[in-house]
Amino acid sequence: MTTIASNIPSLYDTLPAQFSTLTAGAQWPEARKEAFDRFQALGGFPTVKVEDWKYTNVIPFFRSLQTLQLPAPIAITEAQLEATGLLLPDVYRIVLLNGELQPQLSELPPAKQATVLKMSEAAAEPAFTAHFNNSQKLAEHHFAQLNTAFFTNGLFIEAKAKAQVEKPLHIIHLYHNTSSLLVNPRHLWVAQEGASIQIIESAAGLDGSGTMVVNSVVEAVTTERSQMSHYQLQTGGGQLRFINQTLVQQRGKSLYNNYTFTLSESELVRNNLNISLDDERTETHLFGFYIATGNQLVDNHTSVDHRMPNCESNELYRGVLMDKATGVFNGKIYVHEDAQKTNAFQQNNNLVISPEANIYTKPQLEIFADDVKCSHGTTIGQVSEEALFYLKARGIGDAMARSMLVKAFAFDITAQVKIPAVRKQVEQLATRYLSAAVNN
Amino acid sequence: MSAEQDILQELAGRDYEFGFETDIEMDIAPPGLNEDIIRFISAKKNEPEWLLEWRLKGFQLFQKLAMPTWQNFKLPEVDFQSVSYYAAPKNKVKYESLDEVDPELLRTFEKLGIPLEEQKMLSGVAVDAVFDSVSVATTFKKQLNELGIIFCSFTEAVQEHPELLRKYLGTVVPQSDNIYAALNCAVFSDGSFVYIPKGVRCPMELSTYFRINAKNTGQFERTLIVADEGSYVSYLEGCTAPMRDENQLHAAVVELIAMDNAEIKYSTVQNWYPGDADGKGGIYNFVTKRGICKGKNSKISWTQVETGSAITWKYPGVILQGDNSIGEFYSVAVTSKRQVADTGTKMVHIGKNTRSRIISKGISAIHGQNTYRGLVKVGPNATNARNFTQCDSLLIGDRCGAHTFPYIESKNNTAMVEHEATTSKIGEDQVFYLNQRGIDSEQAVNMIVNGYAKEVLNQLPMEFAVEAQKLLSITLEGSVG
Repeated sequence: MTTIASNIPSLYDTLPAQFSTLTAGAQWPEARKEAFDRFQALGGFPTVKVEDWKYTNVIPFFRSLQTLQLPAPIAITEAQLEATGLLLPDVYRIVLLNGELQPQLSELPPAKQATVLKMSEAAAEPAFTAHFNNSQKLAEHHFAQLNTAFFTNGLFIEAKAKAQVEKPLHIIHLYHNTSSLLVNPRHLWVAQEGASIQIIESAAGLDGSGTMVVNSVVEAVTTERSQMSHYQLQTGGGQLRFINQTLVQQRGKSLYNNYTFTLSESELVRNNLNISLDDERTETHLFGFYIATGNQLVDNHTSVDHRMPNCESNELYRGVLMDKATGVFNGKIYVHEDAQKTNAFQQNNNLVISPEANIYTKPQLEIFADDVKCSHGTTIGQVSEEALFYLKARGIGDAMARSMLVKAFAFDITAQVKIPAVRKQVEQLATRYLSAAVNN
Repeated sequence: MSAEQDILQELAGRDYEFGFETDIEMDIAPPGLNEDIIRFISAKKNEPEWLLEWRLKGFQLFQKLAMPTWQNFKLPEVDFQSVSYYAAPKNKVKYESLDEVDPELLRTFEKLGIPLEEQKMLSGVAVDAVFDSVSVATTFKKQLNELGIIFCSFTEAVQEHPELLRKYLGTVVPQSDNIYAALNCAVFSDGSFVYIPKGVRCPMELSTYFRINAKNTGQFERTLIVADEGSYVSYLEGCTAPMRDENQLHAAVVELIAMDNAEIKYSTVQNWYPGDADGKGGIYNFVTKRGICKGKNSKISWTQVETGSAITWKYPGVILQGDNSIGEFYSVAVTSKRQVADTGTKMVHIGKNTRSRIISKGISAIHGQNTYRGLVKVGPNATNARNFTQCDSLLIGDRCGAHTFPYIESKNNTAMVEHEATTSKIGEDQVFYLNQRGIDSEQAVNMIVNGYAKEVLNQLPMEFAVEAQKLLSITLEGSVG
């Protein structure tokens, strides 16, 4: 393992001291200690020498950080929430500030459908004790270990057995900082037997000073015959950087849908999405769409671990790269010896608009079972001159034609969104970014 | 104090262990790897000073470089000190007649349709005086000489064409490329050197096969092929027959250089001993192969059929430096029993309008593990680069594995890169269909596999293609039913 301790002297060297002060008296001391040791054993922050971080150098983003100490909470007004432009109609709105639930701004679903609690108050819940810090994949991720060691708070959500949670839960993550900060929110979401739940996440940064790295972990569990749809709308302003770990464990006959849309101005977005298919006859759909502009680096690492027979997974990621942006995609499908009759599909398409944009993509298959159907494909290309000519020949101007083609490429993915309001918001955001590019 | 004195005394009195007397008359160097051995090899081959320096630099790098850890298999430990790095080339006679040879081996020869005399040679039986492969080789040599084509062993090239060698040696695969390439630089025994002059189209398929028959070149081969402007050459390496070989580690280096409008076609059929059913004793085939399309409109094409070796670990690549140059890679890799293959290609697009095409067909059976690992890299100046990659895996049996690690890096927005991969098994319905028509299951599988690999096999020169088809069937024997 590669150590880069010396690369971030200001932060890495202070971690042991911060660990002892910040987590003194905190809940789950053993888990924290173990995770912190593991983080150090893994070599601290990963460098580009670590295969999973080959194209994403996080070191510069951590160099300016000093602390993990959250600032004093501030009061948030309804007007401030409006101003984020993220509000959605017909949802249970749940507002978090730096990972801390804000009850006065939130509307929770009825208790018989779902339990929503702060993580710090959920320790006694049976679903919490059964699933918290339980994902085997946690140990592989440097940042997930860091999160376990330092996490402050987050949301525990449990969709009750056989409950159909009526409206989607819309979690608005607000972030506020007064100095350069590393924040570690932690969530655990469980869909009990036969339950069905939709969760939407959005993010926004409030005025503050310095930069902020959000290192979040979501552990999600779908038990027998349950359904979970998870929308990650990665919005948010320039001072935020995101490192997300989403670790999903699927039990028998459950369905998990993930929609990851990266439409932000943040310079670094790294998503680690791990799906572990722990039982038979599960179904998984992963859809991703990213637009990277400016100097942005958008990195999606997904892995689907087929452990049991008769499971189906389907993955489609698309990206548009502009300016000097960099896109990274690493999709891994792992089919274990026992996972016969697996059906796995993966595709990643990239549209590169600017001459200075970079794309690194690696669709990876590891297959140990023979009776499977697995395929993957990836493409890198640009707007087809032929298609452009076809449109122009019909009297459509160059800019308009280009914009139509880029949108057609992008909106294939947004068409998969099942909640109309979410689709509308995503398409509006996408249009805003895309029109800027096409008109150049 | 006195104890210390004693130790000093003892040390002073001892013979210098690390000294090495260069005995030119010796046929085999003692096992071990150090500077003296390298000096010994170099002196034995009567090499010029610069080549010795070059070897020593390779050795220094070998000591510095670390063993890779990224490969998708467990790297067996190789004791570099237990290997003898020089053995005088001579025909080893192991058996007096074919009756003493392992009947299993003979059965394979028969299936491949190898002539009796060649069978003897391959299995190490004393060869009749009638069969003189040297004379065959010399006839060809004369014909090539008339065209100005140089095709000789590396040792010969060192003596006769040092200026060419010095100009091109190590320019495609740098000495520091990887630890095995560095080792090869230090201790390479022999190999082939080919130079095709401007505008010449080589009239025949150049093959090491003939030359190897005349001379055993050993485990650290080095091949350098230079195709000057507007020339064409097709080079065949290896042989479909199972080679008897005592050396477990093979670390060869192959360098190809294509100038303006030149084309090099390099075909490999590799069928070294894969080890027994438990994977014991097979060959480790760790080869560094790379070509550079230096000139405009040049083309390099790699075709490989890999059926042998316990571990095959190589990535024949092409650096597409010249504008409009083309790189191709066609591969069939079969892993059966406990075999491992971690192979693929690197296509590095540097020049404008460069194109590359990758077709990889992996077949895994029984406990075989097959990995495709590839890199397609498009540099910022490689306008209109185009790549198409297809890598398919076929699984036969439920205890084998197929893995794909394609790296794609693009720094140019005019690049068009496509990659597709599939994994599947031989369908029961397909086999049933053939069974119904009176074809037994084993033959049915052979037909399906050959059809699956056809796209690659078609790239091979005709005689090779026929043998390679048979070879696939033999390698997969026992994997069905």
